[in-house]
Amino acid sequence: MKISLNWLNQYVKINLPPDKLAVKLTNAGLEVESIEYLGEKYKNFVIGKVLGVPKHPNADKLTVCDVDIVAQNLKIVCGAPNVAVGQHVVVGLVGATIPKNQHDPEGKPFTLTKAKIRGVESNGMICSEYELDIGEDKDGIYILGNDTQIGQAFADFLGLNDVVFEVGITPNRPDCLSHIGIAREVAALLKKQLMVPSIKFKEDKELVSKNASVVIKDSNNCPRYSARVIKNIKIGPSPKWLQNRLSAVGIRPINNVVDVTNYVLMETGHPLHAFDYDKLESHTIIVRTASDGEYFTTLDEKGRELKENTLLICDAEKPVAIAGVMGGLNSEISESTQNILIESAYFNPSNIRRSSKYIGLNTNASQRFERGADPNITVYALDRCTQLISKIAGGKILKGVLDVYPKKFKPVKIKVRLSKVNSILGTNLSSEEVKSLLGRIGIQLKNILKKKDKDSVLLYEVPTFRPDIEREIDVIEEVARLYGYDRIETKTTSYIKFSSQTPKIEFNDELRQWLAGRGFNEVITNSLLSQEVASLTSENVVILKNPLSREMNAMRTSLIPSMLEIVRNNINRQEKNLNLFEIGRVYFSVDETEMSTLVTGYSEEERLILVKCGQSDFLNWSVHERKSDIFDIKGVIEDIFLKILLDKYKFIPYHATKALVDSAISIEIQNIEVGYLGKINDEILKKYSIEQDVYVAELSVDRLKQLYQSDKKYKSLPTFPSVIRDLAFVVEANISFAELSETIKSLGGGLVKSVELFDLYTGNQIDKNKKSFAFTIKFLSEEKTLTDEEVEVVIEKIINGMNSKHGAEIRK
Amino acid sequence: MKEKIEELKKLTEVEIANCKSLTDLESFRIKYLARKGSIAELFDTLKNVSPEERPVVGKALNELRSNTQRLFDERKVLLEMSVNVETKIVDLTLPGRRRWIGSLHPITQTLNEIKNIFFRMGFDVVFGPEIEDDYHNFEALNFPPDHPARDMQDTFFISENVLLRTHTSPVQIRVMETQKPPVRVIVPGRVYRNEAISARSYCLFHQVEGLYIDEGVTFSELKGTLVAFAKQFYSSSIKFRFRPSFFPFTEPSAEMDITCFLCSGKGCRVCKQSGWLEILGCGMVDPNVYKFVGYDSEKLSGYAFGMGIERITMLRYGIDDIRILFDNDVRFLKQF
Repeated sequence: MKISLNWLNQYVKINLPPDKLAVKLTNAGLEVESIEYLGEKYKNFVIGKVLGVPKHPNADKLTVCDVDIVAQNLKIVCGAPNVAVGQHVVVGLVGATIPKNQHDPEGKPFTLTKAKIRGVESNGMICSEYELDIGEDKDGIYILGNDTQIGQAFADFLGLNDVVFEVGITPNRPDCLSHIGIAREVAALLKKQLMVPSIKFKEDKELVSKNASVVIKDSNNCPRYSARVIKNIKIGPSPKWLQNRLSAVGIRPINNVVDVTNYVLMETGHPLHAFDYDKLESHTIIVRTASDGEYFTTLDEKGRELKENTLLICDAEKPVAIAGVMGGLNSEISESTQNILIESAYFNPSNIRRSSKYIGLNTNASQRFERGADPNITVYALDRCTQLISKIAGGKILKGVLDVYPKKFKPVKIKVRLSKVNSILGTNLSSEEVKSLLGRIGIQLKNILKKKDKDSVLLYEVPTFRPDIEREIDVIEEVARLYGYDRIETKTTSYIKFSSQTPKIEFNDELRQWLAGRGFNEVITNSLLSQEVASLTSENVVILKNPLSREMNAMRTSLIPSMLEIVRNNINRQEKNLNLFEIGRVYFSVDETEMSTLVTGYSEEERLILVKCGQSDFLNWSVHERKSDIFDIKGVIEDIFLKILLDKYKFIPYHATKALVDSAISIEIQNIEVGYLGKINDEILKKYSIEQDVYVAELSVDRLKQLYQSDKKYKSLPTFPSVIRDLAFVVEANISFAELSETIKSLGGGLVKSVELFDLYTGNQIDKNKKSFAFTIKFLSEEKTLTDEEVEVVIEKIINGMNSKHGAEIRK
Repeated sequence: MKEKIEELKKLTEVEIANCKSLTDLESFRIKYLARKGSIAELFDTLKNVSPEERPVVGKALNELRSNTQRLFDERKVLLEMSVNVETKIVDLTLPGRRRWIGSLHPITQTLNEIKNIFFRMGFDVVFGPEIEDDYHNFEALNFPPDHPARDMQDTFFISENVLLRTHTSPVQIRVMETQKPPVRVIVPGRVYRNEAISARSYCLFHQVEGLYIDEGVTFSELKGTLVAFAKQFYSSSIKFRFRPSFFPFTEPSAEMDITCFLCSGKGCRVCKQSGWLEILGCGMVDPNVYKFVGYDSEKLSGYAFGMGIERITMLRYGIDDIRILFDNDVRFLKQF
């Protein structure tokens, strides 16, 4: 909220420069977000009087004005047609920054320097409305009334000699949403006296109780309603001082009555409302809740359908205001208003919050009521308002206050244990110190329940303007705040208590590191996308009720779509060779009865996605260009499994059923599907406007975590040497590598340790419908050194077996 | 004899200069230095020299042999070098054979550093769901229904009671529900805010939450731990301050600022001329929170803190638009 320094000074004498005060407030939890020096814009502008307007010797349309600014007489060259002797004008002195340059198409500001214009020196500038940024008139200079004071700073004339702080008030401090509230804090911080305006006015003999009445039908939601009536007032614009105060804190002046209610709101923090007394049927106020669907038009001329429980202020017939939120158009103060009823009430915070949320109106009043106003300030605020209105708008104040307050709010009393204060804060404060700190903000020591040095128990009373202080811990916080957080010692215990074992490197981090080492760049993408896209990979999409946009109204069910966006964006920037990965979550709605999840009805799974497209490798002068293909990504997956000691995995090719990929391979570990890999299908690529192949693998990290071997064990190394032989077989083209390598292993009778493919050939040297596989086979026995003869026997067996099973011919 | 030696010496000196290749040189060796070469022949005739002259002639002969050998060796080195230069040119300025270098996202890198510091202080790491219920995200954290504090965090709702968590704090509740004190954990994770996307805010970001509950934990120690963290993470020379603030689930609550490391506290655009940078929110766990999880607030006390990883990442690398982090341009990623 905006706080004016001049205004603040009315209640506490501040002897600090604005920036120092800002630091004090910030350190007390009232964060000053910015400081605005209102007069800054009109520094070096003063009011002057034109004494003479002789013609410029070298230019017909210019005059060389003689201008009195009290301190001196200035010669100023002026081109305005309307300049004349005797005028009071605004003079920009040398060094002033003209807010808007009327010779610049964009009106950019410029700074005045001493300049010669057509050979005559000019010591400033007489400004137009436009140049001063106070109006649109460019045709001549801005002329002030002759009652203005020559030599006065223009900023002062405008009432801009103020400093305004933008203070961030946390929701627990409704008491600080006012100048008196902030002044109270400042007084406590600077150890000064808080000066609250005293109230004096004369009441008429006529009794208010004979002229109006108040009935509360829902005292739960409206515990107090106070009102006064003033008759025969004169509506008009507010005096300048009042308008300046309101403008400084960002409130637009309207008329004297409304302005005073706003002024008192910003002064005391208590929202008030003035009704046109003559528009209140039977001059009666009834506070009741709305019925469902009840219709009402607020001050902003908007019709609103209300919900049951919305608290309404009504007259004998109809609603006249939504309690605590906004008044109604039907009882608004207008130019013809003569008599007014001023409301000063206290409403239940959660009721007002619900109304304000439902109606979608967040007003100065609702903001304060929903955070908690002070029920015991209603009459003070009402009287303050009455005092000012009668002073400014005249009228007679009817005798007495209508004050319905069935159940009085008493100040809360809180037991505070000194030992608790010190054990929470880590301090060593005495009960005297605590008392003096709390006393500064009006929290009074009422009783000492137990007097025993460090174990004293004290009874404090909290004023009702601090609804946030309800418990011992709340009082402790105030002690800490007033004592100063920075004065509390910064220390650590000399020993560390372990809550559990120091964690091992997380599986995910290990995976990330490894993939980065393997040349993949990690990305982090948005987990929100459109329902349409999310539905491509699952039927169980989680949908947001209040999304930012339709493009982000659902949670992802696969990491592929958000990754494809990244791929597209990079390709558009000519980065076409991509190796990317992400570890992130996907989200599903699940049957509430079927699965037990942390939040019933929803499940989350952590996944890894790998993407490869463009060149297979970093090109260099001795490597030929090759495009990535599915085996690049398959190889990475195989290496991951090797790395995390998973060896019981299977790749099972299938025809694309997953909507996003074709030539896909399902990946299983111990017969559990952990993911799949494949090529993004062309239609999807088209949707993303990607014009190159993209290969992808998506795995469940959660499942890998369950299945992998976290405990690494040493396997003894072979005692005997291995024998390595290369064999090439020519087979029909439809026979797969997997079949052949299985056969070789099974024929090896335990002696074949590994089978690796080192060449795959199709071409002129063999039949057209055949292909040649060249294997490196490693033979090893755990028991002895194999002889050539023993190996030859096995090879013979393999060759024969391959031939009978697959029709494979050995290639010589 | 002497004349012959002298003549041979001249001859070898001329001929060695004519050796243009290793083949020439080999012929030279065979002609003069081999077992049947001219010098060996002269040695054979040494027996015909008179005994008086023999030592002198022998010496001269030896000199001839070692001189010829030296000529040969020198020429050989020279020729071998020139062979390399002429036939096997290696351009050592060619680039090395490189591979693609991967990278971890800067958010991951920042998070890892933060985690490692807290690991060394004895904190464990736990996780929680991003789709969260109202109870854990708000109610049990002492945000009553209809409380304006809920406005501090614009929320994405999935149903009336289910939402995308707005902070990692609900995991505090989940940990305390399942674990007996003492508790000393950090919680990294993704959180969501229903805010328009701009240079300064994104619809999601990452936080690290911390929670320590035990007997005798004080505000003083909260300060100590966080200052120790900040000194390790930023610099041992930073200055800090704690300002009162408000979070429903801590009391007293504070915000921690450190001196702006971009301008050393002098005031700049990033710190909005204040000289301070806000780096985290913290406070003592509110007794109401203990009620929700069945902890004894009379026996136990503790602190909690939370920080935004994007903000820290942006500050330390000088990134001025949060969207860059989620744009994942590889030219950006490869800088880390």
